[in-house]
Amino acid sequence: MAEPSTPVAHNPLHTALLLALILLVVAAIAGFFPPALQRTVTQAMIMLVVVTGLYTFCGNSGVFSFGHIAFMAIGGYTSAILTILPGKKEVALDLPVWLEQIQLPVSVAGPVAVLFAGLVALLVGLVFMRLRGIALPMATFAMLVIVYVVALNWQAVTGGRQALVGLPRTTGLWTGFGFAALGLFVAALYDRTRHGLALRCSRESEVAAAATGIDLERERLIAFVVSAMIVAAGGVLFAHFLGTMTANTFYLDLTFVTLTMLVVGGMRSLTGACAGVALVSVVSEVFRSIERGFSLGGTTIAAPPGLQEIVLALILLVILLLRPHGLAGDWELTLPGRSQR
Amino acid sequence: MTGEAGVATASALEVAGVVVNFQGLRAIDDIHLTLRPGEILGLIGPNGAGKTTLINVLTGFQVPDHGSVALNGVDLLPLKPHQRSRLGLVRTFQNVLPFAGLTALENVEAGAMATGMARGAGRAWAMEVLGRLGLADKAARRVDTLPFGEERRVGIARAVAMKPKFLLMDEPAAGLNDAEAEELQRVVAGIVAEGECGVLLIEHRMPLVFRLCHRIQVLQHGATIALGTPEEIRAHNAVRAAYLGDEAV
Repeated sequence: MAEPSTPVAHNPLHTALLLALILLVVAAIAGFFPPALQRTVTQAMIMLVVVTGLYTFCGNSGVFSFGHIAFMAIGGYTSAILTILPGKKEVALDLPVWLEQIQLPVSVAGPVAVLFAGLVALLVGLVFMRLRGIALPMATFAMLVIVYVVALNWQAVTGGRQALVGLPRTTGLWTGFGFAALGLFVAALYDRTRHGLALRCSRESEVAAAATGIDLERERLIAFVVSAMIVAAGGVLFAHFLGTMTANTFYLDLTFVTLTMLVVGGMRSLTGACAGVALVSVVSEVFRSIERGFSLGGTTIAAPPGLQEIVLALILLVILLLRPHGLAGDWELTLPGRSQR
Repeated sequence: MTGEAGVATASALEVAGVVVNFQGLRAIDDIHLTLRPGEILGLIGPNGAGKTTLINVLTGFQVPDHGSVALNGVDLLPLKPHQRSRLGLVRTFQNVLPFAGLTALENVEAGAMATGMARGAGRAWAMEVLGRLGLADKAARRVDTLPFGEERRVGIARAVAMKPKFLLMDEPAAGLNDAEAEELQRVVAGIVAEGECGVLLIEHRMPLVFRLCHRIQVLQHGATIALGTPEEIRAHNAVRAAYLGDEAV
């Protein structure tokens, strides 16, 4: 019997609940914002889904992935193909007839796209998870490049270099919030399982993990598939937020931004993931508006374009130098005085 | 069932004719070893005698060039380290190798998970093991914030939580003070008495080894030079010359 007086580790579900409540407040306030700013908040919510997915794999395993944005692309394109009007597909793409004729609501196409991305992650992961050390992050980067090049050139399915247009724009502020909260709970649930614990153990010591009966490849594969599906959900949301799909959207820029969010906030903590998304989103928005320029006493002052990216890179560098475990480190937001069963 | 002397018993950890070469250097040279349930077997020898290498062979971190390793009659050589530990062949490390960034409780829970327990039962069992090792009030502490002696006990607790059939301990008393070593002795004796577990003990503290072990096997240059009860080993001339030297035992 566990002694009830003993302070025990925090419950990740409490953390997810508190973070979701904060998001709820943010979404409620953002409802009063002008549309442009509302869109920024919505986009931040979508990024949170993606970063939560990244956290599930990278945070628990300690292995970086440079390739998860490929799962966003796979999710987004799959949902696009399943939701665009058959007439438009006939003009823009060259799909098999059955696929061309399909038109599903986003509520059906989205889950299908997420499952498909999960299947791809399973097949890719079966091979990738055998890799050790730096080989695994490099392989994920190779996957990103392959998916990008395929998306850019597979005219018949993705529209190639032309944007794929006509996606139902169903992702609004509240959809974004709902999935951000859902992503947090899925990540927290995974953290609580034996698989989450086992993967964190392997992050601390692969040798000791093996001696403790932990199958490294299997645990990494499970997290890889779960995280790919969360990220793919972010891809579906983003596709139906933008209403258009281009291969360039899901490539290096987005990889850089999402990894910056994860690292700045702290990849070992769900709270950190949220903090990173919030900080990077705010900084990006502020500097984007400075880039656009503002008028002061009749003259318009504008910063040179690219300032936003440079500032983000500087923030990343400062964090890497001064707080390598990110703003949050291992700290999690949790209910005071509560302990787990 | 046929546990007669000299006959290979089904219920034991058995090493036969193991050879390990490191780039031309023979680290282990035709070692035979039998560890029975409920027995504490001491493995002693000078540094470089091949003691840790032998544990690595047993647990699957080192592939031997020749020889066989069997657990209760099951050939272990095709199995990976994590599969062997799930069969109840559990080790501790000379340098502990805790899951440093996790709490003491999570470290021990990870051990409990290896037994296949459900999450809740595993947590209760982990708390019980921590209590037994006097670490109950350290459960929520990150292991890298604990003093060395307690970190070592967390490493042992993690192994004990796996309910080992055979426990291989690589210098568990290294770096401990006398009081902690005394405590360790009590813990190891307790594990054996309670769980019918066999313990292979590598240790440099001779008083501890001679008090605790039922049998002692002495290695030198990768080969066995003596095997017997503590009294026999104490009287063994070759051992005195090779290892014990002038050390008072």
